[in-house]
Amino acid sequence: MKMGRTLLIRLSAVLVILILSVVLFFIGKSHTVLVDNKTVTVEGREIAPLKLVEVSVSKQGALELTPRDRDKFEVTGQKHRVTVTYTDDAWNERTITRSFTVPLMQDMVMVLVPALVAHPEGEQALWLENYEAPTYAVTMSESDEVVTDDMAGLITGI
Amino acid sequence: MNGAAVVSWGKRFVRSFGLPRIIIALFLLSLFILAPFAGVNVGTSLSDTLNRFGMNAIMVLAMVPMIHSGCGLNFGLPLGIIAGLLGATISLQVNIPGPASFFLAILFCTPFALILGWGYGALLNRVKGGEMMIATYVGFSSVAFMCIMWLLLPFNNPTMVWGFSGRGLRTTISVEGYYLHVLNDFLSIQLTKHLVIPTGMLLFFAFFAFIIWAFLHTKTGTAMTAVGSNPVFARASGINVDRIRTLSVVMSTWLGAVGILVYQQSFGFIQLYMGPFYMALPAVSAILIGGASVNKASILNVIIGTFLFQGIVTMTPSVMNSMIHTDMSEVIRIVVSNGMILYALTRKTEAAR
Amino acid sequence: MTLNATKGQKLLRFLANNTVPILFLIICAFGIPLSGYSANYLVSEIIIRLVRNSFLIVSLLIPILAGMGLNFGMTLGAMAGQIGLIFISDWGIVGIPGMVLAMIISTPISMFLGWLCGKILNMAKGREMVTSYIIGFFMNGIYQLVVLYGMGAVIPIRSKSLVLPRGYGIRNTVNLIGIRKSLDNLLMIRILGIPIPVATFILIALLCLFVLWFKKTKLGQDMRAVGQDMEVARAAGIPVEHTRILSIVISTVLAGYGMIIYLQNIGTLNTYNSHMQIGMFSVAALLVGGATVAKANIRNVFLGVILFHLMFIVSPMAGKNLIGQAQLGEYFRVFVSYGVITISLVLYEMRKKREQAEAGLSLAAAQEVEA
Repeated sequence: MKMGRTLLIRLSAVLVILILSVVLFFIGKSHTVLVDNKTVTVEGREIAPLKLVEVSVSKQGALELTPRDRDKFEVTGQKHRVTVTYTDDAWNERTITRSFTVPLMQDMVMVLVPALVAHPEGEQALWLENYEAPTYAVTMSESDEVVTDDMAGLITGI
Repeated sequence: MNGAAVVSWGKRFVRSFGLPRIIIALFLLSLFILAPFAGVNVGTSLSDTLNRFGMNAIMVLAMVPMIHSGCGLNFGLPLGIIAGLLGATISLQVNIPGPASFFLAILFCTPFALILGWGYGALLNRVKGGEMMIATYVGFSSVAFMCIMWLLLPFNNPTMVWGFSGRGLRTTISVEGYYLHVLNDFLSIQLTKHLVIPTGMLLFFAFFAFIIWAFLHTKTGTAMTAVGSNPVFARASGINVDRIRTLSVVMSTWLGAVGILVYQQSFGFIQLYMGPFYMALPAVSAILIGGASVNKASILNVIIGTFLFQGIVTMTPSVMNSMIHTDMSEVIRIVVSNGMILYALTRKTEAAR
Repeated sequence: MTLNATKGQKLLRFLANNTVPILFLIICAFGIPLSGYSANYLVSEIIIRLVRNSFLIVSLLIPILAGMGLNFGMTLGAMAGQIGLIFISDWGIVGIPGMVLAMIISTPISMFLGWLCGKILNMAKGREMVTSYIIGFFMNGIYQLVVLYGMGAVIPIRSKSLVLPRGYGIRNTVNLIGIRKSLDNLLMIRILGIPIPVATFILIALLCLFVLWFKKTKLGQDMRAVGQDMEVARAAGIPVEHTRILSIVISTVLAGYGMIIYLQNIGTLNTYNSHMQIGMFSVAALLVGGATVAKANIRNVFLGVILFHLMFIVSPMAGKNLIGQAQLGEYFRVFVSYGVITISLVLYEMRKKREQAEAGLSLAAAQEVEA
């Protein structure tokens, strides 16, 4: 009886920790959201880039994009809002805000700003696409500067 | 009948020799067998192994006196190495080139070894039971202390000091022109194009091995063994336990000093500053691989152990590199040498302590 | 029969029992003015080191309680913590969730390694410290086997930027930019211009409370009994081997968490070297604080960190101002670090002998009285 109860408590503790781990994974997963202002083809039709547009993602500072410009936001978690501010042909300032969800295991996604502006009510798949970094950009070695505190002198290599 | 007798003999052999050692020996054997298939010349490998054997054997021999007298494994070997380094640097400072510098180095290192060994021995006598840990840290502290000294001591031979300021010794000092390969080349035998036997160095080791073996059979030597295996009985027999222990520490320190000089003449460089820091561990694991334990060691252990250990250190990189194109030699060396020390530390050998 | 100690004898005994901290106080008293550092700089540096190292050093307390001596095997916990960090870096988990997840991942690894270490130490009773020291080196080999050869090959690693150019094996440095200072910045306040990471201090305080509470539990009392005398504890029905293993397991797990806290403060992981340095200077700091192989408490931890790191910080500059070479100061502090461990170990052994001799003498005297 006693053994059974201890086992049950232990198993449920492990279960709680596993669930916690999954939750932490979800809320802590970082993604890169690229925002791009290039010529986009949507449903067979070409959409031109905007002359000047301001984009911001989830409370982070706004970034300006000129035609063919690209920038990025580092975000944590999956659900975000993108806010696009631009001046249309009639010299009115327009703002579009949309929420989107990044797929969990996707490191990078790209917001196609012209597509979003052209189809403000369109579904997410129209203006958000998954992005894979080209291999050279990832495997390029960053400067391997070794940061230790000053304890390094206490042990030399074996 | 015959089969059962063989099996029981086999079991006894395994138990007395120790499973890890058999595994290591078989591993080395397989490396030698695989060598030709991996494109590694067996002659060169054998040469290298013999060379490394000669380089390290005396330092492994230094373990024997202290194990016999019950002081445990000499993790404080760096202290002896420092005595040797002092002898080497002073010999170079005196600046008599050629083989004479080697014997001068031995001459100069001796007083240091005696003094340092005596102090070290006195310390160990006060801390019976916790020798090994304290030995380790005495070794480390002395290396660190000498780092300061190498910077300050008034050497001025231009081959030794930093060129820029003229003060303070360099980290590595070449012994070329002094005693480089003095022992290696003496009477060396060239069997084939690849196989060279460094006879001089091996004879030198044989000489010291013989001295130690002979010593252990003298009255003082047997007293030392008695002190290690049964201190109470030894004291009852009128033996001055502390004096014998100190003697063993002094011997060990002096052998360590000579050992590093032999190492240097083959390696070609004097390594100062943090060089000697971890040099006790290979010697400790070598003698353990050879069959010694924390309180029992023989000359045979030294020979077998050094050969096996240096064989693995030599063969693994070349053979494994050619076969699986990965250099796992460093990892294997760490696992094998430290695993062997762990195995020895966890044996239930002596009842006392 | 109690001795009435005079004031002088009491002072002498105090000096004898606290040799190492007093020695360090003297070194610092000379070194600080020699180095020329401002008080502001020193205080902020010490705060950083307290934050970084305290958790790790507290993990050393429990094995000392259980009589296992100085647990050089905390290296194993550090390795487990590092493996956890490698995984969260690979998966791209950042911030506090990343840190906590790394801790969760490190826990089962720490528990297994600690259990292994404890079992080996039980086979080497009487030589625990040397054995734990060698276990640290041995496990370093296994760690390299896993991290330098296994990861990327057998263990899948998604992020190419973590892996060496040859395709498998983790790089020498892993950038922990995701979790860098995430715990420190959680609650950072500034007093007189000195940043103080309150959240980390709260965590350390919680750990200290845990250790204090633990000492009062049955398990804690069992450990103390085992630490004082194994045979008496065994006669009292305490499962001695199991208790010893448990003390190492707890210490290893805490060391894992401590390593993660240490690394989030630094911000980069030195994959193959960080864990080897940790054991050495944690032990040294604890000993400087006045702990011995058989007795250590929370006071020793904090005093030790402050004194040890003060010495460490001022040595190079002091050496430069005194002799003209900063290198001298650096070698000096390495020498002092190892020297302090040596002195502590020697003093401990000598005191143990003296106490045994005194116990023997008083026993003989008692028997004489009886006879």
